[in-house]
Amino acid sequence: MAALWSNISVALPPDEAHFPLRFGDSVDSSVQELLRRCRRRLYADAAPLSQDLALMNAQIVTDISWEKLNTGTWRDVDKEWRRVYAHGCLFKALALCRGDPSPESVRQAVRTCDMGLLMGASIMDDVLHRLVQILQTEVRRATGEEEAQTEPVVKAKKIKLEVPSPPIIKQTTAVPRMHCPSLEHFKANNLLTKQPVILEGIINHWPALSDRRWSLDYIRSIAGCRTVPVEVGSRYTDEEWSQRLLTVNEFIDKYISVKVEEEPVGYLAQHQLFDQIPELKEDIRIPDYCCLGDEDEDNITINAWFGPLGTVSPLHQDPQHNFLAQVLGSKYIRLYSPSESQKLYPHESLLLHNTSQVEVENPDEERFPEFADAPYQECVLKPGEVLFIPTQHWHYVRSLELSFSVSFWWS
Amino acid sequence: MLWFGFGFNAFGQIVDPGTAPQGEDSITSYNCLTPTRVDRPQQTGRAVMTQQLSASWSRTALLCPHDGDPAVYLSGSGTGGWVEGSRGCRDALLGERHLTLGFSGRVDRWDLQQQHGDPGDPREPGDTGEPGDPGDPGGASLLRLPLVAGGYIADKPPFYRPLAPQLRAVSLALGAEHAVLLSGSGTVYTWGIGSHGQLGHSGLSAEKEPRPVEALWGVRIHSVATGGWHSACISAGGDLYVWGWNESGQLGLPSQAVRTSQGHKSGKESKSEEPEAAGSQEVFISIQAFPALLDVTESCDVAKVSCGSRHTAAVTTTGDLYTWGWGDYGQLGHGTRSSSDEPRCVDFFRRRGMRAVDVVCGPWNTFAMATREEVAARS
Repeated sequence: MAALWSNISVALPPDEAHFPLRFGDSVDSSVQELLRRCRRRLYADAAPLSQDLALMNAQIVTDISWEKLNTGTWRDVDKEWRRVYAHGCLFKALALCRGDPSPESVRQAVRTCDMGLLMGASIMDDVLHRLVQILQTEVRRATGEEEAQTEPVVKAKKIKLEVPSPPIIKQTTAVPRMHCPSLEHFKANNLLTKQPVILEGIINHWPALSDRRWSLDYIRSIAGCRTVPVEVGSRYTDEEWSQRLLTVNEFIDKYISVKVEEEPVGYLAQHQLFDQIPELKEDIRIPDYCCLGDEDEDNITINAWFGPLGTVSPLHQDPQHNFLAQVLGSKYIRLYSPSESQKLYPHESLLLHNTSQVEVENPDEERFPEFADAPYQECVLKPGEVLFIPTQHWHYVRSLELSFSVSFWWS
Repeated sequence: MLWFGFGFNAFGQIVDPGTAPQGEDSITSYNCLTPTRVDRPQQTGRAVMTQQLSASWSRTALLCPHDGDPAVYLSGSGTGGWVEGSRGCRDALLGERHLTLGFSGRVDRWDLQQQHGDPGDPREPGDTGEPGDPGDPGGASLLRLPLVAGGYIADKPPFYRPLAPQLRAVSLALGAEHAVLLSGSGTVYTWGIGSHGQLGHSGLSAEKEPRPVEALWGVRIHSVATGGWHSACISAGGDLYVWGWNESGQLGLPSQAVRTSQGHKSGKESKSEEPEAAGSQEVFISIQAFPALLDVTESCDVAKVSCGSRHTAAVTTTGDLYTWGWGDYGQLGHGTRSSSDEPRCVDFFRRRGMRAVDVVCGPWNTFAMATREEVAARS
């Protein structure tokens, strides 16, 4: 375990003098004083009492900055306080790993880094990314040892995933399909005319679909101990909907592997997982067609959508083009042209005005009489297929089984 | 009258760590888990008769007699000691960035932010921007800070903010992002951000202007308090109402986070008894968007209430102190670092034959004033 700390030390400045702690005026001098105490502890000796203090100081910094992050609306939160929060998480994770940490302490340190990555600002050359990678290696090593010791593990039975017969797609409403069209062809026939299309054969080379084929076990091995935001509740428009922070393992155990009848659906939705876990990004590729956009590749937003059977994204529109790539499982998708907006009854509140009030597969015909007249296209998207959803095109998505999709928003 | 403090003490704002045996960085000095006498200024060498106490996150201000006149003694982050120029002040309000002092006819604001490495703390008084006439002590002198003639003093610019005279404000409490005002007629007004239900108007939207809390119509209120994201008030009849965020049980209502962490600690031994069963039936409250009546005790009324950032403390008419909410720094005074989502009596005072008579919360700590219980008063 001493090896762990020497690996970590390499990722840190060599001494106190080279460890920057500079914050704007908005950060109270008392908080800055505590940050300096944290730094002093980091380079002081690793006596047990000193470690308790290091942890206490770091906890105070994360608690006070957490309160600031919860003050006012998120977009108005001062970036300096997000930096303080990231520093607090860094000092806390380091305090947890000092000396001879237990495997549980290391796992807690990983969770702490993730909190800093999710809610904090990037600090010190992405030190939290670098730290969490070192820690993850340690967790994997420790887990490997544990499993080797308790050899006859009762391997969790492979769950029989019920695959209900997919909805029958009528020829007349089916989204057209194309196999590897040329860039020019796609541009002329789909991009400029804003026509949805399913692209086949364009992601088969992804490691996620070939030599590092994604499975629950694979996702656990790469990301199991990482903390992610999970939406709980069937749709984001519901009263009961909430967001929770869980590790990927907890999410899989609680919401994916077993389906408890009364439990609400959990969905790892619209999360920039690939920025948080660069190793997973190695398994996917940005579709070549994105180069037809006006913006830089850096401006493409890549989101993960990972959930069990029955997740629903209500009918809504997005301000950018979308390539929705299906990696695991299948999804039923319904599309409406933006010219039909009037018949789709968008919510009136500013926050939800891009979301329809209609339950697409169970519409209230009295409240929304015109909905039935709106023409639409539909499809079942299967692994290896990519759906092009033009900007502003209304879409409704329901998973038909365990599903992992990757979306690319581009313009 | 004695003041006791408990909770967050990382800056020595309750007890000067200099007097603790291990110095500034001793772990035990970081949090006072049980009520501790608020340290007396060393210069005087005698217990001070603290008349008023105000606490920010990292400091405490005591208003007490100093060479015959009231003055402010500051402890905590930065240099502690008597505040130059506070002599003769009659009111003090401490924020994390400023100390506001009320004199008869004028208000001074002192900047407490210091650049690292600067020796000492000049604490120049700043202009509050208050247009009030210094020559008019009139009715304004009855106002308690942050209220001043014609408005109030905020901790962020603009520091002086006017209030409509028809509100007839008699008391004002400022939360992290909302305000609760008590009018002369006993009506409660709130405004600011409402995302955690802290305004009590049943919704979560913000209010730009003071708006009466309709759910309290017809109930005469005699005091108001705010925490970071919650609010509390006491009716003339001694009933306590609470609303806002219940994230750590600060409303005294069932909180999922508190129960989960308790289950975590005690649940390990009793795994077989279906720990889920009891929890899943309970209704947890995360946000209470309109005032809820909270019975602190079954038999007696509430006399005082004060809120920390995520905890609440109340004194009953029988002289007991109750606390609930976030407890990670010992701010509940029960000798632990755990939170509680129901009011619990701090039995420290009763066990010593003392009555709690007042309570003032800092963001992460609590201060209570207690008197020795007279035999006659027991009847």
